[in-house]
Amino acid sequence: MKFSNVSLLILIIVAVASSNTPLTKDACIDCHKQLDEEREAGEQILKNVFQDIHLQVGLSCADCHGGNPEAYDDEDEAMWDNPTFIGAISRRDQPEICGSCHSDPQFMRQYSASVQTDQVDQYWTSQHGKDLLNGNDKVATCTNCHGVHGIYPVKDPRSLVYPLNVPSTCAQCHNDAEYMSEFGIPTDQYYLYRTSVHGKALLDRQSINAPACNDCHGNHGALPPDVVHIADICGTCHVNNSQLFQKSHLNNIFLKKGFGQCEACHGNHGVKKPSDEYLNWEHGAVCLQCHGNTTGNPKELADLFYHTIDSLKGQISLAEDLMDKAEQKGMEISDLYFPLEKSQKVLIQTRTSIHSFNKDLLLETVKDGFIASDEAIQGASLALTEFDQRRKWLFIFSLIITYLIVVVYFKIKDFDRRHRNKNK
Amino acid sequence: MGIMDWINERVNIRGVSEFAFKKKVPVFYGTIWYYLGGVSLFLFAIQLVTGILLLLYYQPGATTAFESIKFIVSKVAFGWLIREVHAWSANLFVFFAFLHMFTVFFAKAYRKPREMTWFSGMILLILGMGFGFSGYLLPWNELAFFATKIGSDIAGAVPFVGEFLLRLLRAGDEVTGATLTRFYGFHIALFPAFFTLVLGIHLILVQVQGMSIPPELERIPEKHRRYMPFFPNFAIRDALFWLIILNIIALLAVFFPWELGTKADPLASAPAGIHPEWYFMFMFQTLKLIPGHIFFIEGELFGLLIFVFGTIFWFLVPLLDRKARRGQRSRFWTVIGVVLIVYMIMMTLWGYIV
Repeated sequence: MKFSNVSLLILIIVAVASSNTPLTKDACIDCHKQLDEEREAGEQILKNVFQDIHLQVGLSCADCHGGNPEAYDDEDEAMWDNPTFIGAISRRDQPEICGSCHSDPQFMRQYSASVQTDQVDQYWTSQHGKDLLNGNDKVATCTNCHGVHGIYPVKDPRSLVYPLNVPSTCAQCHNDAEYMSEFGIPTDQYYLYRTSVHGKALLDRQSINAPACNDCHGNHGALPPDVVHIADICGTCHVNNSQLFQKSHLNNIFLKKGFGQCEACHGNHGVKKPSDEYLNWEHGAVCLQCHGNTTGNPKELADLFYHTIDSLKGQISLAEDLMDKAEQKGMEISDLYFPLEKSQKVLIQTRTSIHSFNKDLLLETVKDGFIASDEAIQGASLALTEFDQRRKWLFIFSLIITYLIVVVYFKIKDFDRRHRNKNK
Repeated sequence: MGIMDWINERVNIRGVSEFAFKKKVPVFYGTIWYYLGGVSLFLFAIQLVTGILLLLYYQPGATTAFESIKFIVSKVAFGWLIREVHAWSANLFVFFAFLHMFTVFFAKAYRKPREMTWFSGMILLILGMGFGFSGYLLPWNELAFFATKIGSDIAGAVPFVGEFLLRLLRAGDEVTGATLTRFYGFHIALFPAFFTLVLGIHLILVQVQGMSIPPELERIPEKHRRYMPFFPNFAIRDALFWLIILNIIALLAVFFPWELGTKADPLASAPAGIHPEWYFMFMFQTLKLIPGHIFFIEGELFGLLIFVFGTIFWFLVPLLDRKARRGQRSRFWTVIGVVLIVYMIMMTLWGYIV
């Protein structure tokens, strides 16, 4: 092989290796690329196709759409006369066509050992899937959520189902009142979610651990949660609150009356950061939604919870205030941070224990918080008292030294007088 | 027979007291400068006493140093007071030692025959700064840890011996518990021993040669000069200054305590605002401002060389100032002194404010 031929071969290898296009030539791409160019601003099928995960792992258009990708210059052989050709996939057929690979564990294992393969089965159990089976083409199918001709892996931030993108992906339909009108469900979920504690955490603070739509509703098997399952769903993250509530006497009452467990007090899409004011009977406690303006046990329990927590908060705030003052005066009180942190931890545990609606459990839990905050208060007060003592002793010391300074001053005058007299 | 007579029969201490009673101190506009050396000596004595008391509880080591200081200031009776007095008197010592040096400089008191007094005084000042640098690390808190890291890094930039100096200071490649114990050794044994020796020489020279007076006063005939006896007239004035200083230290200890901060964590990243003790600030700020390269020399190295040669130059002033040797004032040296003071103050302020 001549030198120039070797150079040419190297050039070709480098050019091909550095390109995003698949290595094999594909008649579908060649042809549709020209069509895209003719359409200019119109539908550009191939716009993002080269980044598509399927093309990246070596699949071709024909793997989904059928046809013969090697039939160059013969449109009929490539598509119309080819028995495998499917063409544009109908929404009804999408789950099965995607599932032909994604539901095959043997096939999918070559890409990932832990890949999920039950998406299609789940999909048919979802509200979307059920409606599709009933002939409603307006429901979401695979491409509505994952995109088409530009599908990215879920962990890719460009993916429509990357955690930060899930709310806006669902909102494409669920936020469109006109589109959703025939389904008879609200369309304010995205708005409510956007202002919720979860929405702010996910979309404002970009914390991908915060729940998006699919974390509560499921993804492929998306359904509104049943009343009986709400505590389980919230309990995925809020474990202790969920367990305490499900063991409480209120759980059965809620289920009998059809109240949505956690949702009954905290709301759903618009869930806000809980406040201790939820228990404040005088200022619209959430309990009043069911208990009206009744007095007796519910009020007494709510008052006990509210005042106990308020009292511990007051203690912690006092401890922080005193410690702050002591530190500003330069007193060494770093050991007091242990009891302070303990009392703050107990405050969180006490708030959690409310979900048991059990007075004894709450009082048992809060006990350690009062002991710890009291220790911090006593320690900080002692430090402040000691600082006052120091000031007092300093004053006495300064007084003595000042007296000595005055005595020495007069002594100097005396010595100087004697010295002058001696020199006369 | 009194105790003094008994001792005097064996050792002639009466000679010492007679010397003290005969000793005279010149009285002129600058007599007040004479007290600065005494104040520095008094502060050193406080350092010695409080340092020994701190030694009773302090435990050097990466896992014990911070905890022991915390114990001293929170649990030991008057422990906080001892630590505060030690820390404040250390800072005041450096301040008054600098002041003492500059007054000696402007009074030309370094001129013949007092060159050795100047040399020994300069060694004491450098040792005092060494005391400060080594003592700063001993609480093993975050600020001290990173300041020592930066300080020793600077020493490591010295050409030829930098690597050796860095390892000598750190007892390894990094600032670790070994550095702490090494600094502890410097602070409580090596420096005090050397300091006491040089201080002894410095004080003997001062006593033997007597107080210096500025060149212009020397030209006044002896009979027209005014004096006061060292004992008791001058000594009691010394006592007055010491009492005032003691009062100031007590006030500072109660109302402006030195924060212990958080324990050093060698794995943590350096917090913002790391700076050395105030008396190193002018050098630190200068090194910060020097560009990366000056001619063909690295900026940091250039700054370091300036300080090394500047210190040597300042040290040798008694030999370089020829006019002073002839009993005359030199405008050149006065300008150098003023420029140096202004530079040090400006750079220190800049370091703290900006």
